[in-house]
Amino acid sequence: MSYQEKENIINIFSSLLITTIYALIIYQKHLNGQFDLTEDFATWGVIFLIFIGVSIVARIIIYIIFHIINTIALQKEEEAVSDERDKLIKLKATRNSYHVYTAGFTLAIIALAIGMPIYWIFIAFVICGVLSEIVDNVSQIYYNRKGI
Amino acid sequence: MFLKSITTAKGFKMGKSYIQNNIRRLRFNADEMTQQELADKVGATRQTIAAIEKRKYSPSLELAFKIAQAFNTPIGDVFTYEPTAE
Repeated sequence: MSYQEKENIINIFSSLLITTIYALIIYQKHLNGQFDLTEDFATWGVIFLIFIGVSIVARIIIYIIFHIINTIALQKEEEAVSDERDKLIKLKATRNSYHVYTAGFTLAIIALAIGMPIYWIFIAFVICGVLSEIVDNVSQIYYNRKGI
Repeated sequence: MFLKSITTAKGFKMGKSYIQNNIRRLRFNADEMTQQELADKVGATRQTIAAIEKRKYSPSLELAFKIAQAFNTPIGDVFTYEPTAE
C-alpha cells in the first residue's frame, strides 16, 4: 500500500472519529440544557468555529502518530512525494467531493423549503462535510488503484 | 478480468489507455532498471511508472519526453498511439 493510500485511510477514520466525538459532546451539552441548538443559531456559529480549530489540532496529532507508527513499522521514513498523476487524482477527487457537498447543500435547502426546522441545515452541513471528505479520499484510493 | 475496460457511449475506454509503451522492455534492456530508479530519474513516483506501464495512466508530454530521455531513445520508441489495439 502506497503512502498516499495510507494517508487517505487515516483521513477517512480521523474525519469520522473527530466529527463523531465532537458531535456527541455537543449533543450531550444540548441535552443537559447548556444551550438550545434548536433556537440559538449564534451558538451554532461558535460550535462550527471551535470545531474547525479542534479538527485542525486533532488532525495534526493524528498525523504525527501515524507518521511515527508508519516509520517504526517500515523501519524507514516514507516521504509524501507527489507528481503530475497525484495532482490529477487529487483534482478529480476534489471535484467528486464538491459534487457530494453541493448535493447535500441542495437537499438541505429543499428540506428548509418544505418546512423542516432551520437547525437541520447546520446538521446537513456537518453530514455533507464528512461525506464529501470520505468521497474525496475514497476517490483518491479508487483512482490510484484503477487508473485515471 | 475485473479491470477490463468499460466502453462509454462516446467510445472512450475507461481504465486502459490507447497509448502503448515499451517501458518494461526498455527497463529490462537498461540492466533491469527498477521502476523506482526510473521514477527517480524522471521525477515521478514509482506508482506513476507502474500505472504507465500497465496503461492505466497516460503521462503528460513532458513526462513522456523525460522517460524517453532516461533511456536515451526517441519518444516514438517508448510510446505509440494505437487506438484500435486492445
